[in-house]
Amino acid sequence: MKSISLRVNGRLYNIEVRDNDRLLEVLRDVLGFKSVKMGCGVGDCGLCIVLMDGRPVNSCLVLAARSDGSEILTVEGLGGEKELHPLQQAFIDVGASQCGYCIPAALLVSYSLQVGKRNPSSEEVRRALRSVLCRCGSYLRFEEALKVAGRDERGDSEKV
Amino acid sequence: MSEEILRRFREIEETRDFFIVGRKVARVDALDAVLGRPIYTADLVTGRPLYVVAVRSRYPHARIKSLDVSEALQVSSVRAVFTHRDIPGVNDAGSLIPDRPLLAINKVRHIGEAVALVAGEDYEKTVDAADRVLVDYEPLPAVTSPFEAMNPDSPRVQEDRDNVVTHFKIRKGDVADGFRHSHVVLERTYKTQAIDGLPLEVEVAYSFWGEDGVLNCISTMQNPFDVYNKVVSILGVEKSRLRIVQAATGGGFGPKSDETPIDVAAYACLATFKTGRPALAAFTRSEAMTVQCKRHPFTITHRVGVDKSGRLLAWKALLVEDTGAYISKGHLVIGRATFHCTGPYEVPNVWADGYCVLTNNTMAGSTRGFGAPQSHFAAEMMMNELAEELGLTPLEIRWRNMLRVGSLTATGQKIEDPGLELCLMRALEASDYERKYLQYKKMGDGVVRRGIGLALLYHGNTLGPEGDDFATVLVRVERDGSVVLQTGLTEFGTGAITSLVIVAAETLGVPPSSIRLERPDTLAIPNSGPTVASRTTPIGGRAAFDAAVKIRHAIASVASEMLGVPASGLEFRESRIYARDNPGKYLGWKDAVAECYKIGVELKAVGYYIAPPTRWDPETGQGSPYNQYTFGALVAEVEVDTETGVVRVDKMTAAYDVGRAINPLGLLSTYESGSIMGLGYAIMEEIIHRDGYLLNPNLQTYVIPTTAEAPRQIESIIVESPGPMGVFGAKAMGEIPVVLPAASIAGAVANAVGVFIRELPLRPDRVLKALER
Repeated sequence: MKSISLRVNGRLYNIEVRDNDRLLEVLRDVLGFKSVKMGCGVGDCGLCIVLMDGRPVNSCLVLAARSDGSEILTVEGLGGEKELHPLQQAFIDVGASQCGYCIPAALLVSYSLQVGKRNPSSEEVRRALRSVLCRCGSYLRFEEALKVAGRDERGDSEKV
Repeated sequence: MSEEILRRFREIEETRDFFIVGRKVARVDALDAVLGRPIYTADLVTGRPLYVVAVRSRYPHARIKSLDVSEALQVSSVRAVFTHRDIPGVNDAGSLIPDRPLLAINKVRHIGEAVALVAGEDYEKTVDAADRVLVDYEPLPAVTSPFEAMNPDSPRVQEDRDNVVTHFKIRKGDVADGFRHSHVVLERTYKTQAIDGLPLEVEVAYSFWGEDGVLNCISTMQNPFDVYNKVVSILGVEKSRLRIVQAATGGGFGPKSDETPIDVAAYACLATFKTGRPALAAFTRSEAMTVQCKRHPFTITHRVGVDKSGRLLAWKALLVEDTGAYISKGHLVIGRATFHCTGPYEVPNVWADGYCVLTNNTMAGSTRGFGAPQSHFAAEMMMNELAEELGLTPLEIRWRNMLRVGSLTATGQKIEDPGLELCLMRALEASDYERKYLQYKKMGDGVVRRGIGLALLYHGNTLGPEGDDFATVLVRVERDGSVVLQTGLTEFGTGAITSLVIVAAETLGVPPSSIRLERPDTLAIPNSGPTVASRTTPIGGRAAFDAAVKIRHAIASVASEMLGVPASGLEFRESRIYARDNPGKYLGWKDAVAECYKIGVELKAVGYYIAPPTRWDPETGQGSPYNQYTFGALVAEVEVDTETGVVRVDKMTAAYDVGRAINPLGLLSTYESGSIMGLGYAIMEEIIHRDGYLLNPNLQTYVIPTTAEAPRQIESIIVESPGPMGVFGAKAMGEIPVVLPAASIAGAVANAVGVFIRELPLRPDRVLKALER
């Protein structure tokens, strides 16, 4: 067992983990962030993606011990029901969610992209979101949501 | 009197302009999704359940000589091992046909068949224990080609059943005569592959005893009542002692309507039943990809005769379908495939034989499209090849033969609406098909060549001959005016439950956001039929409408008194009840509901609808197997790299006749969803069996489309040519967009490189090989 401390969605957790515990199970089963989905467990599908220090990682491929000192963002930390992040609102508005299972991962990848660049090009969006499998085929909707959210944010800043 | 009012309401609903139907409405479950709420089965597990792990066959066909569980029981934390001897009820898990044991008895018939179950406290140790169940197999010869299996001398897959499960026939006119009068007769064979529907949430079931002595099971599935009925029979318990609840379901695509949801529910329930402990049975990805029902591989041989002008005169078809070791839905898939085998064209003389055949491959069953993608690929390629032979364009030959109002299908059914022609016109206009086709055909020597393909569709709606096409929907109104809707029809991504909410909202004149859904629960609701065949919106919508009309009728009787206006003169909209002839006179929805509660008028209704029975003659296939048809036209534009053989789909233009667009936003998602899934079928996906063994049950070697393969653009065109059956004229749509991409993309590749590739998927090696010819 090893003691680690990590910050998830802004809150600090000090926990004990086994050497072979993965970040995926620690987030889901120990800390209760159920938005992190397990799709394959071997890094193929991207459903367990979280942002680790701002970068998307497959949490099934990260040993929990390696996350010591890091900052994790899951969809639970992106926005709440009363204050949805513009990307969450855009996902709803453009019909991006179908079965919903990949949506947390797709949102986080989109968010990390948007943080780096307000209006990423279609190629950049596709390169980034290639890491997330969506069997419902919502890929063009994700792209649309990023466009809509980028537009709305620009609108907001103009108002200010 | 009240019947009169009900009838009047129905008339109003069918003729008036809509307030909500046809507008963009966000899905009812979208908020849960973007917040990442814990609503899927694995999210709902509390405490420490027993993990249930299956021991699976390592041979495609073998006799089980002996089975020794003693070593597995020695593993610490293992609580129980179950074999077929431990099943208290009937050891059968076949979803429709009872041909499939839950746990193998003395034989395994495909790779991955379940032989025993291990239940333990610790997941990893339980997996380890499953490896220690010693099964002594005597391998038997495996039959893995359906053509071999059809040979009467071939070993039988199931001892008490012929390998040919179904022989489906169409006999229309006189094909010999048609061929005699033909100017050109072509014979071609087309092959399609197995794919996995691949819902990203794997099968998982969580079971526990309730305090009321009821065994509860939460699971991911399309058909809670199928699962319920099978688990009741497997456990041999009273129906009242089991409850199945459908959790949010991360994708269905067919496999979750077939065998595997029954399996996991039965595994978990058996463990809870025997040990008293909560239990969790979840597939691994590779386990799911091994045992989930696949899309049936087909071999289709067409022999078709046309006159000089390109008019179809005779069509002879042989369809052979490999359904794997157990039937699942194979006997129905072959029916749909055979009914549609001539494509959406009028042919005076048809002779078709469709065979559903057992082999020792893994099971095939329902997969989005249900036989139609295979059938359309072969028919549409055949039309392209005939056009080429006659010097016509693919459009010209289609124009001469397509189904129009009054045309007769291969089964002799008269077409009643102009949906197909409307779709074709819109798709042609939006894609500039004909000009591009001729342009691309001329320029033939670049490394990367462009091509455009056109394919047409008709799709017999909902179950038709495949089962009782009924639905039930419960609607009740709470004291505060909120509306609750519950049904056994399920949401697993299609958006159809949002359509039911829209139908109820439209009928009651309240906003969709005021309608709350309760989860499908087999103890709380009547059987609603299966959620398959794209039937939730058209058929379920009729049931939702029926329930809402009954509620509206009850409220109208009270509102009529309060406003002093006859019930038939009331209009329900914007949460108010208006006197139609005097819009200044109205009543708030909540006030009317409060009054109903006060005077004891019940605001709870069971809506029911059953589609008219369909009739056809099994000896000739002649008749009307479906109540209505969805039509469509898909144009695909591709780039073929002649050095690498890679096909890239650049753009798709999709026009579908949806009958009535209940939710255009939902349709947009459905169009794109099916287009991209169909693209995977066309160019990438293939579950590979070799001698009965599976080579690629994992996501590294079974690759599905990502953002990299998705077309740059999908243009979605909604055509509305209302049908007689579905709610407000709606037609089946959930599966439909997956049907045409393979046909359309293969046509585009032929346009680009001048070669017809007759086998799916259009893999780079296959494209290169075709180019060598």
